[in-house]
Amino acid sequence: MRALIIDDSRAMRSILRRIVNGLGFESAEAGDGQQALDVLESGFNPDICLIDWNMPVMDGYTFITKVRDNPEWRSMTLMMVTTESEQKQIVRALAAGAHEYVIKPFTPDAIADKLELLGLRATEVPA
Amino acid sequence: MVSASEAFAAVSALTRRETGMIYDEGKEYLVEARLQPLATKAGCSFADYVTKILADPIERAKAMDALTINETSWFRDNAPYQAFTDVMLPDLLQARAATRRLRIWSAASSSGQEAYSIAMLLDQHLPPGWTSEIVASDYSPTMLDRVRAGRYSQVEMNRGLPATLLVKYFSRVGSEWEVAPHLRDMVTLRSQNLTAPFTGLGTFDLILLRNVLIYFEKDVRHDILRRMLPMLNPGGYFLIGSSETTLDSPPALAAAWQREQIGRVQVHRVAPALADRPTAPIAASLTGA
Amino acid sequence: MTALAPELTDLQAVVEEVWSTFVGYEHPLCPRQVPPGTPLDASVWSGAVSVTGEWQGAVTVELADDVAQAISRVMLDLGDAETLADDDVADAVGELVNMIGGNVKSLMPGPSSLSLPAVAAGRAVFPSDAHEVARLDLTWTGEPVRITVHCPGSPR
Ligand SMILES: C[S@@+](CC[C@H](N)C(=O)[O-])C[C@H]1O[C@@H](n2cnc3c(N)ncnc32)[C@H](O)[C@@H]1O
Repeated sequence: MRALIIDDSRAMRSILRRIVNGLGFESAEAGDGQQALDVLESGFNPDICLIDWNMPVMDGYTFITKVRDNPEWRSMTLMMVTTESEQKQIVRALAAGAHEYVIKPFTPDAIADKLELLGLRATEVPA
Repeated sequence: MVSASEAFAAVSALTRRETGMIYDEGKEYLVEARLQPLATKAGCSFADYVTKILADPIERAKAMDALTINETSWFRDNAPYQAFTDVMLPDLLQARAATRRLRIWSAASSSGQEAYSIAMLLDQHLPPGWTSEIVASDYSPTMLDRVRAGRYSQVEMNRGLPATLLVKYFSRVGSEWEVAPHLRDMVTLRSQNLTAPFTGLGTFDLILLRNVLIYFEKDVRHDILRRMLPMLNPGGYFLIGSSETTLDSPPALAAAWQREQIGRVQVHRVAPALADRPTAPIAASLTGA
Repeated sequence: MTALAPELTDLQAVVEEVWSTFVGYEHPLCPRQVPPGTPLDASVWSGAVSVTGEWQGAVTVELADDVAQAISRVMLDLGDAETLADDDVADAVGELVNMIGGNVKSLMPGPSSLSLPAVAAGRAVFPSDAHEVARLDLTWTGEPVRITVHCPGSPR
């Protein structure tokens, strides 16, 4: 299983990386939506993207719409991980094609629970 | 003057007697972390506070409340809830077609995530014309107040609640989220110590007794499992935690609980020989008494 | 018209939740009694986000240097021996104020949008056409932490 972590904060990427790696996922990172598209173009084929909303260059919402426009990326699971917590925003993201939504702040368990909910499990969890 | 280890032993014996919960040696830090704030509030040292709760029933109830472990989450472990929607509910809809009523018991409800998770599934999947009641019970008054309030912090909301259900069933109130009134109306609250007799609860089509047996000693565990048998309507389902088992019970009790596998989940049902018992209190479930 | 302010208890809940999930429970955030207008005398880091839309305002976090460094180490998972660049601190403080600001935004009527964080090594500068509507003075490991919310317009 592979995860692409998209967040403009290195601190947040580091937190998410430790969580998903701990669950046995390989990971790659991007600092904004455009970088994330570049990572996808380069052939890193993630099972899931963890996506912040507010980022420079290209925000997470726009990233989702771009991914949904490309049939090649149909099977990829998209999960927002953001401090945006207005109910309307959550609905908007889901309508645009996000599968799940985690609101910052979160505990590591929250990410694990959601991945389980999405049926995403690494085959081998490192001891 | 009591020593720290004497104080711990006293608290440990007290919780065992009052709630059946075991705080083994090595859990001193946990007991102290949870009781210290109460001791500070009462204006005494930890050791003096322990002496106080031995004598003062009101303070003792507060201490017991503070010592319960309330860890929970929405759709905890997911698979049991999947099995409920896919298998148990359709089966119960057939079995109860005559009464069109389901009764469900969340028997150690903590802050209510378990009861409300079931409420969300019933809201979506219970056909029109059916009624249901979910009884949420716990020993802790603080937890029952939380179920009643139906309010959850951001961090709690993130634990296992699908985003689609968050937007469907919750609204923001300040820094918290509040469950929809029609879900709250589906849930009835009961103060129930699992170590005390189950009276006036009626019987149920599904009982969730999850992630609480692990805190009890064997004897207490077996006693509760025995007393759960008559609480289940014929054809009903009994769910325990994924790390809990009925297998270490005495043979008669282990045989009375029949294990059935639904996907990744093990469910329990009353073994047929027992289910035929002439006293099966179906009538009680109809009146909800 | 008086600008709408978040309830202090809600602000406190937001800050504690962010703090305990990302910084940890080991040291609690404690209230700090100071008269209004007291400047943060320690050497500080500050970060701010602004909210525009139905509700307009700015959320600012000011942290003593030691606090900013400690939380950056935790968030970036850096050991005491590893070097911490100013850039790292700016990043972590920015994420902290982003999380607090985003949740404050949700306390207020929406829809509104949140800016990217702006972080500085030094005290926060508030525009003269804004006034303070809420403030939390706290300490963490004995060092000051301050969260303020400002709204446009002059106080009433
Ligand atoms: C870990 S929580 C489990 C919550 C939920 N069933 C779940 O699986 O997520 C355990 C709950 O059992 C309650 N409890 C502990 N001892 C009890 C007793 N003797 N009688 C009733 N409830 C008890 C605690 O108050 C706590 O809320």
